[in-house]
Amino acid sequence: MSILVDRAIENAGLDDVLVKRREGRERTIDVSRLRGADLLVLGALADRIRAEEVGPQVRIVTAAICSEPGVATVPPGGVEMTGLELLRRVAILRLTGSRGATVRVDFGRCGLELAQIALGFGANELMGRIVSKSGAAFAEGALMGVGKKSRLELADIVKRREIEGFVRLAGREPVFVDEMGRSETSAEPCAEEDGSWS
Amino acid sequence: MVMMDAIEAKVEQGQRLSFEDGIELFRCRDVVALGQLANRVRERRHGDKTYFNRNIRIEVTNVCTASCLFCSFAKLEEGMPGAHTMSLDEAWKELDDLKGDPPTEIHIVNGLHPKLPFQYYEDLLAGFKRRAPSVHLKCFTAVEIHFFAELYSMTIREVMTRLKAAGLDSLPGGGAEIFAPEVRSRIARGKATGDEWLEVHRVAHSLGLHSNATMLYGHIETFEHRVEHLLRLRQLQDETGGLLAFIPLAFHPEGNGMKNLPAPTACDSLRTVAVARLLLDNVPHIKAYWVSMTPEVAQMALRFGADDIDGTVVHETIYRSAGSRTPGAMTVNDLVRLIREAGRTPIERDTLYDVVKDYGSSLVPEASFKVSERKADRHLRAMS
Repeated sequence: MSILVDRAIENAGLDDVLVKRREGRERTIDVSRLRGADLLVLGALADRIRAEEVGPQVRIVTAAICSEPGVATVPPGGVEMTGLELLRRVAILRLTGSRGATVRVDFGRCGLELAQIALGFGANELMGRIVSKSGAAFAEGALMGVGKKSRLELADIVKRREIEGFVRLAGREPVFVDEMGRSETSAEPCAEEDGSWS
Repeated sequence: MVMMDAIEAKVEQGQRLSFEDGIELFRCRDVVALGQLANRVRERRHGDKTYFNRNIRIEVTNVCTASCLFCSFAKLEEGMPGAHTMSLDEAWKELDDLKGDPPTEIHIVNGLHPKLPFQYYEDLLAGFKRRAPSVHLKCFTAVEIHFFAELYSMTIREVMTRLKAAGLDSLPGGGAEIFAPEVRSRIARGKATGDEWLEVHRVAHSLGLHSNATMLYGHIETFEHRVEHLLRLRQLQDETGGLLAFIPLAFHPEGNGMKNLPAPTACDSLRTVAVARLLLDNVPHIKAYWVSMTPEVAQMALRFGADDIDGTVVHETIYRSAGSRTPGAMTVNDLVRLIREAGRTPIERDTLYDVVKDYGSSLVPEASFKVSERKADRHLRAMS
């Protein structure tokens, strides 16, 4: 859909944003224009930048880790946002942040559904705690040793697979990382890439 | 990519999309770009207008002879735990209780009860009309109408003629599920086939009754099944012109025979809305049913081709039985805010899409600019 996207970006007067980023002049991008731009055009632009700068992998952080310098998390602490505001914020962070920056979405606060959509608006990292089906939060791996047949452990696995599925269904490659930021699992081919995606 | 460019050119020129185009659209990885294309069609038809209504859902019985794998609502027999059938007085009271804020539409969908007399349904409709003559009665899915015809030994036309005489105004779109027999026979045993569903709507339209259409997505069906389903609806609409809206319904897995399947994701929901808008070029409205896809995703769907968010939906129980955690109902103010936050103009409508109230544009920054202004980039200049 490059022609469609190109034309939409051009019609919205945002083609210079792409040029500025490619030339390393992201600091000169006018944020107020982005705040008023059509949301889908903004998303398409941010997704293109994401693809160019950080590729298809999505890091999934489920362990409790401290805030990291240079990582922008959406929604920011203490701030309530609607879904549309969140998507706009993600896209603007991708477009105005430093090259290859991590744009992280807290799915624990905004929900997996919205987090999945945010992956199409420039996000490249998901953060949140594994929760049971009843919604009770518990840290990834915290239930190890409780017993293999434990219902809670089962819920842990279900949720982990669910997150993985959400990322793959967004056409991206999931990579779980531990509390030290190390990759736990490497991405396998997307289930829907077996010839069904164009 | 070449094929997507060709599809875009077709859409621009107002040409009809093919089965192959539909498959290509569902396979498109770039859901945002797909949304843009659908949004263009949506704005061409409706501009920023986004519709909702004041409606109430009543399920008078959940006793049902059908065995649908996706259903968490039905009980096979009267007397089973959780089975219920309302008396007529109990059903009418649902409306009486809303006297201070009356709905413009009553939406009734039930199980296929094997023992209720036909008179019950006629009296039900007539009683609502006596209480509120102007209320629109959108009642009984095509599956129920077909069941009535078999149970009471009448033709489809006889059933609907009698129900119309009792007060029926239109048919809801439920029961369509997926038309393809290889899917339908597995997930929806013991009820009308896809052909029979379509025939009921064909007869309804010939009697001057409008109707909606649905598709249950995100379970065992393939993209091919979805496209076939949409194209059969398009064909029906070419014949009759009686469909008002198409409503994609997200499968919810809790408490039913397909509980091991994951629910469709938000991306799948947005993609389905967008493809429906592009393929159903003759159906006026695409609905983002907030009960099915959550208010947040429904709000986003208003930028992916949908122009209607359904209504206040007081008392919905079918989706809630299947694990939907959406609110039980929304106020008019909730819906107006939801639509305005999406940058759209809320329009309260009646069932036939006549305007009840235009709420105008909002004070939210994005929503304060109309489509025409956005196209001219006036809002960009104003904000820079």
